[in-house]
Amino acid sequence: MTLLDALQQFVTECNQNARLREMNRDWTRRIQLDPDDTHQQHWLVSDAGELSAGEGAIDNPDMRIQAPEDILTQIFSGQMTPTEPYNAGDLLVRGQQDDIMRLDILTLLIWGE
Amino acid sequence: MKKHVVSVSLGSRHRDQSGELTLLGETVRVSRQGTDGDLAEAEAMIRELDGTVDAIGLGGIDRYLVVRGRRYEIQDAVRLAHAAKRTPVVDGSGLKDTLERTIIAELDRDGWIHSGQSVLMVSAMDRFGMAETFEKLGYRLVAGDLIFSSHINYPIRSADELEEMARKLLPEVTRMPFSQLYPVGKEQTEDSDPRYARYFEEADIIAGDFHYIRRYMPPSLAGKVVVTNTTTQADVDRLREKGVRWLVTTTPVLAGRSYGTNVIEAALTAASGIGAENPRWPTVVEAAHLDGSRLKLND
Repeated sequence: MTLLDALQQFVTECNQNARLREMNRDWTRRIQLDPDDTHQQHWLVSDAGELSAGEGAIDNPDMRIQAPEDILTQIFSGQMTPTEPYNAGDLLVRGQQDDIMRLDILTLLIWGE
Repeated sequence: MKKHVVSVSLGSRHRDQSGELTLLGETVRVSRQGTDGDLAEAEAMIRELDGTVDAIGLGGIDRYLVVRGRRYEIQDAVRLAHAAKRTPVVDGSGLKDTLERTIIAELDRDGWIHSGQSVLMVSAMDRFGMAETFEKLGYRLVAGDLIFSSHINYPIRSADELEEMARKLLPEVTRMPFSQLYPVGKEQTEDSDPRYARYFEEADIIAGDFHYIRRYMPPSLAGKVVVTNTTTQADVDRLREKGVRWLVTTTPVLAGRSYGTNVIEAALTAASGIGAENPRWPTVVEAAHLDGSRLKLND
């Protein structure tokens, strides 16, 4: 699975889940993903809860997430929780604490248990 | 000889207090020592108190979140608890899951609150017993765990959904630094934030952690019933000014202050020699007649 596949899966899970859409209805953010090994940038956008993703850079991101591409892929496909690489220093997130926590919660609600 | 317990709290030092409680015929000296959110200082304080007092309470942090029999452990609290090798360390969860269920049932039985009313529990994963009791008695539950701890504007509307969320979130969330999950130290005295006022306005009863209530309550709480603890006299005055009708504390009031459940659990552990892990604990809690308080603030 590529990082783009993982992001598109994440987007589909969020957009098809009525509860997650309600949670994100007032959340509009631009998120840049920076794989620090492949340097193939990707983006994730929430527009009032409607998520989309793609390859490349995005202007004026609210949040930047940096990690090896494999770790980013595993996080967004639910194979790894963000806590482990974050605590190990492999995942660097720059942005508002509330946004970071929200992304953690979204991934856990989709793939938790 | 008097028993002595100390609550080491991640909360503000401004809320420090000491006093005496009589439980099961034993007088217990209780004191609360805040560390303004400094985890390392709290750990050092517990290490120093170990072996010199009869029990230690963990304040401003839960160790266990008990949701329908499943127990989740907050890792920062585990670290604090392990700093003591000889003295029992308790967090209040042993009381929340027993005493708080009883108190809600008694309020309902005595007609202070009524089935069908709406309840805002500002956080319920730390007080699942209370949330479940409200729901079982026919109250309309709104749990604000995601709203007030993570600013995700999503009310949880049933104990089943709360349990599902806990199952998915808590195994990971409990591994995060506690300061990301809950206001500690000076954050506890920040100005009111009215963003979520409508949840307070729509509720007849507001229940749960007082720091969340204080932080997010709107200018008027006219006619509301508030069920909480850890209130000081200044907090009571403020709730009165806002029009709160009844203030119910789930722990006893000493010199105008209702202590945290951790303090009372520590005192009860010291007085009885029995901890919440012991199967006899519910009997000990019942025998202690911990009534809390019911205070009329406005007509």
